[in-house]
Formats: sequence, C-alpha cells, structure tokens
Amino acid sequence: MPEIINIIKGCLAGNRRDQELLYRRHAAKLYAVCLQYSGNDEEARDILQEGFIKIFDNLIHYKNEGSFEGWMRRIVVNTALEKFRNSHNLYRVDDIDHIPEPDADPENEDYSGLEAVDLLEIIRELPPKYRMVFNLFAIEGYSHREISDMINISEGTSKSNLSRARTILQKKVKLYTGVKKVING
Amino acid sequence: MANGDANIDLLFRNGLKDFEVLPPVGVWAKILPAIRKKQRPYVMLRAAAVAAVIISVSVLAYKWSTEINISLQDQNIAVNDKSANIQDTRSVQKISGRRPARSVANSIKEVQAQMLPEESPVPSPDNQTDQDMDHGSLESGNLPSLESILGIRRAVIPGMTSGNQYSGTSGNSYSGLKGTPFDQPKDKYPKWSISALVSPTYYLKPELDNSIISKQISSSEQSRISYSGGVSFAYKISRKLSIQSGLYYSTIGNEINGINSFSGFRSYDYTKGDHNFEVLTSNGLIYTNNSDVFLMDQAGDRVLTKYTNDVFDPAKAQLSYVDNTLYQNFSYLEMPVFLRYKLIDRTIGFNVIGGLSYNLLVNNTVNAHISGNNFSVGKTAGLNPFMVTSSFGMGMEYNISDKISLNLEPTFRYYLNPFSMIQGPKTHPYSFGIFSGLSYKF
Repeated sequence: MPEIINIIKGCLAGNRRDQELLYRRHAAKLYAVCLQYSGNDEEARDILQEGFIKIFDNLIHYKNEGSFEGWMRRIVVNTALEKFRNSHNLYRVDDIDHIPEPDADPENEDYSGLEAVDLLEIIRELPPKYRMVFNLFAIEGYSHREISDMINISEGTSKSNLSRARTILQKKVKLYTGVKKVING
Repeated sequence: MANGDANIDLLFRNGLKDFEVLPPVGVWAKILPAIRKKQRPYVMLRAAAVAAVIISVSVLAYKWSTEINISLQDQNIAVNDKSANIQDTRSVQKISGRRPARSVANSIKEVQAQMLPEESPVPSPDNQTDQDMDHGSLESGNLPSLESILGIRRAVIPGMTSGNQYSGTSGNSYSGLKGTPFDQPKDKYPKWSISALVSPTYYLKPELDNSIISKQISSSEQSRISYSGGVSFAYKISRKLSIQSGLYYSTIGNEINGINSFSGFRSYDYTKGDHNFEVLTSNGLIYTNNSDVFLMDQAGDRVLTKYTNDVFDPAKAQLSYVDNTLYQNFSYLEMPVFLRYKLIDRTIGFNVIGGLSYNLLVNNTVNAHISGNNFSVGKTAGLNPFMVTSSFGMGMEYNISDKISLNLEPTFRYYLNPFSMIQGPKTHPYSFGIFSGLSYKF
C-alpha cells in the first residue's frame, strides 16, 4: 500500500491515479464529518466536494507536520464553517423557543445502546447554530472565544447555544435510548 | 450538571470518532474536473516558460552568430581607402598583368566570361568602359560593378564615399573592386543548430566476478528500458565539423528479482537504526528508509538484516505481501560535449559523433509495485553523484528543408566511473540508445 507521502507527491505532480487514491482513502471519514456539520445530505455532499477541491489546491502547503488526516479534517470543517457563515442569515437563531430540561441526571444515564449512526442522526436534528457551536466546542475542541470569532457571535451567545444544544441532545439521546431498548426488548 | 455536560460531549466525541459514511456516487466525478482545470494553467505556464527559454536562447545565439559574421567580414575588407586601393591594385595586377586602369575592364570581361553564361542578360560595358577610362572620368553608374555582376553583397567600407566612384586622379584604382569581388564567393551555411532529441536506452552491465553472490546478483537483475531526452545546440566549426552541447534528462531503471517485500512491519520494528534492511545489487547497496517494509530474499544472501528468517516470519506476523521485485530508479541531468563530423553532406547525410557527457544524479529511489502503484522501499546508498560517460555514435540526418532536418542517431555509451562509490560490486555499465528528433539550423 503506498505511503501517504508518496500519494501526496503524486497528487502534487498531477498524477490522476494518486488523486483518486487520496479521495478513495479518506472520502468516507470526511463525509461523516460533513454530515455532522450539515442538516441535509445535499449540503454535506457540497461540503465534501468543495473541501476536497481545497485539499488538492492546498496540498503544496502541507508541511508533513502532524496528522495528514487532521489537516484534511480542518479544511473540511472550515469549508462547512464558510458555508454556514454565508447562509447563517437564513437560519433562525432559535428554532426552538422552549427547551425542556432533561428529566433525569445525565450522569447516571446509560447510553451504551446508541451507535454512531444514531448519534449522527441526533446531532443533525439540532438547529444549525446549536449544531455548529456544539461541533466546534465538543468535537473539535475550540474555545468559546474562538467560536465567537469563527461564526461572528458573542462568547455569551456561544455559551448559551452550547448549553441549549446539550440540553436538546440529552433529551434526544434519552429518547433514542428508550426507543432502542423497547425495540431490542 | 457539569459532569453531565462532559458526559454528553464525550458520548458524541467518542461515538463519532472514526465513523465513516460512504459518500454518494459521483462526487469524485465533480471534483476531478475542478482540480484538473486549476492544474492546466500551471502546465501551460510551465510549457510557456520552457518555450520562452528556448526561444530566448535561440535568438541570442542567432544574434551572436550574426555579429560574429559581420565582424569577420569587416576584418576581411580593407579598413581605409588607401589600403583598399593598394589591395585592389594588387589584385587586379595579379590577375591581368597589365596596366591597372586598362586591366579593370579586361578583368571584368574575364570574370564575366568565366562566371556568366553567354546569353546572360547583363549588359556588357565593353566599349563605354574603355572609352570612359581613357578620359579618366568613369562613373560608377556607367559600369556595373563586379559585385552586382557576380551577385555578391558589398559591405560598406567606413570612410569611403558612397557609390562606386572611380577617381581619375588616383589613376589606377577602382574602388568598386575592393577585396572581396575577386575572392571566391564565401560559403554561406548555417552555423548554429538547435535540436530536440529523445531516445529509449537499453543498459547492459558487464559480468561481475565468479563468486556465488555475484552470479546470483547478475542472474536476478535486468535493466529496464530507460529514456533520455533534451535539447542540444551545435556550432559548426567548419563545413564538416561541429561541436555540440545541451541539457538532457535521462532515467535508468533496474529490476531486482527474487526479493519479497511486505508491508506492516512498522509495529514489529524495535530497532533504532536508520535502516532495517540492505540489499546487495550490482549498482550498490539498497538501504530501506521505509520502516514499514520487510524484505526477504527468496533464495540467497542478498538481503542483509537483523530480522533473518529464523528471527522473524512475515507470514506468522501476517504482514501484507507487496511484490517480489524491487525497482531501482536513477535520474540524471546530463550535459554532453560532443564533436560531430559529417561524412556525407547530402539530402540524407551521415555523421560520426563522439564525446563525453557529464551526468548529475538528481533522483534515486527504490520501489516495489502493488496494484500498479509504487510502494516506497528506500534508495541506493553511496551512488556516485557525478558520472562521466563516453559516447560514440553514427548520425543519420535527413534534410527536410534548408533549415530543418530529421535526425536518427544510434549511440553507444560507456560509463567511465562506476555507479557506486562504496564497498560492493562496482560495475561500469554501457548503454545503447537511438536518439531521434528534429534540428533547426540558423
């Protein structure tokens, strides 16, 4: 199996085979990221497409420092962010007026029945701004200050959006877990 | 609640980590044209840059050769009236052996008789010339110059009055007859040529010594068809002899059979050395630089390693088999300095070519192949970075026009220094290639 550095070199030389190999190797993982950041499949496909074009355009700047997969993921997340910024005026900030408090203490909940595909489904049901803040904070590890710069909101709004996102997620996770338990007997 | 927040964060972070979803079919088909479109300008720019360099060099070379021709002409021509007159007089006297003034007209006649056919449409100046000369008032308008008769371009002599004026007072000189008209017409042929040549090249190596390992190396290796190509310039020293140089890029490939390569060794590699395996080849020692590769000689002792068969079994370790052949690839930038002697100068001409080439190593890789892709193994250590080769060849030249010719040059090449500088078998390979391409003369 060719090493990634050789594939990168091939891509830089314009080798079509290496370009396709790079795509085939990493598209599935990056598409999962795209789905996580988008509300529908069409948007996810657009992010993947634009993200990969940027990856190929910027390969020359990759310094072979750190994980190449991490570098690609950052590009895809930035593409999703860009798309979000361009269309965030279309999104309503608060799609849910009233967010119910979770019924039980989440520390004691058992979420073991949930699979990745369920988690993805749940996260995609979040309103766009909550989803974006939750992804950037909880999954990517950015601070509220960084998030406020990234999507042009205040730190307070970022914290508030995160809190609301978590509440919704906890509720939905509980719901999904309950349903799964019923289905599985 | 804070722990609950962390819990939900962790649930999603860990749950979605390494999650993969196959993208819809057709995304790649949309990405490819976009990246191809962006790459095209770079390819075009590169091609334009190469074309610009070639054109610039050609123009400079042309200007230079033109200047050399002019300066050579100027040197041949007398630099002032006096010397021109003396030279003319001598030339005329030498030819006719009579009084110079009279002999000019006779000389013209003689030259006309020699150079022009009888039915030549050029008017004869016979009677008028004699008459005018006797009166000492010959004007150039009445007498066609020898240059015009012979069709030779006349250079202007600095300090001389314009027109072919005959001075009656100086008596015996005719300024129109300076120097060159009585010389043989100069050979005008293009001095410079630029050629683009490419050749498939086949490399051969002499037999190594009679040891078992040397025999094994010789029997398991075979040269791959290599390529050489580039641009060369030639300058004609004389009609037959020219000197040629340029810049070529050449590749050399070598296949080493019977060496099994496996991937997935990284997790078993506990050594701190810079390479785990060495492979003995006729071109030197291959050092692995990919810690993920495991090499094993199918039958022999060409692989030198701590991980011998009794220490490590790739099958038990479930390493992935890659290939049973290693491919050595070397690339050189080559600057030839050749002499070319023309044996036959006709529509189809033949040349003898010989000289030296200076080769600079620019690429050195060793790969295995898996599913049509390269799997990097390492490189050949201790290669001579600077090689000198001697070449000898026969060139066939088919002149499509005065300026353009098609070339075919079977060339034999011998490496004067060995590939490897370090311990191991030292070979001086030789190669045979047929260069073909186009030449443009100017």
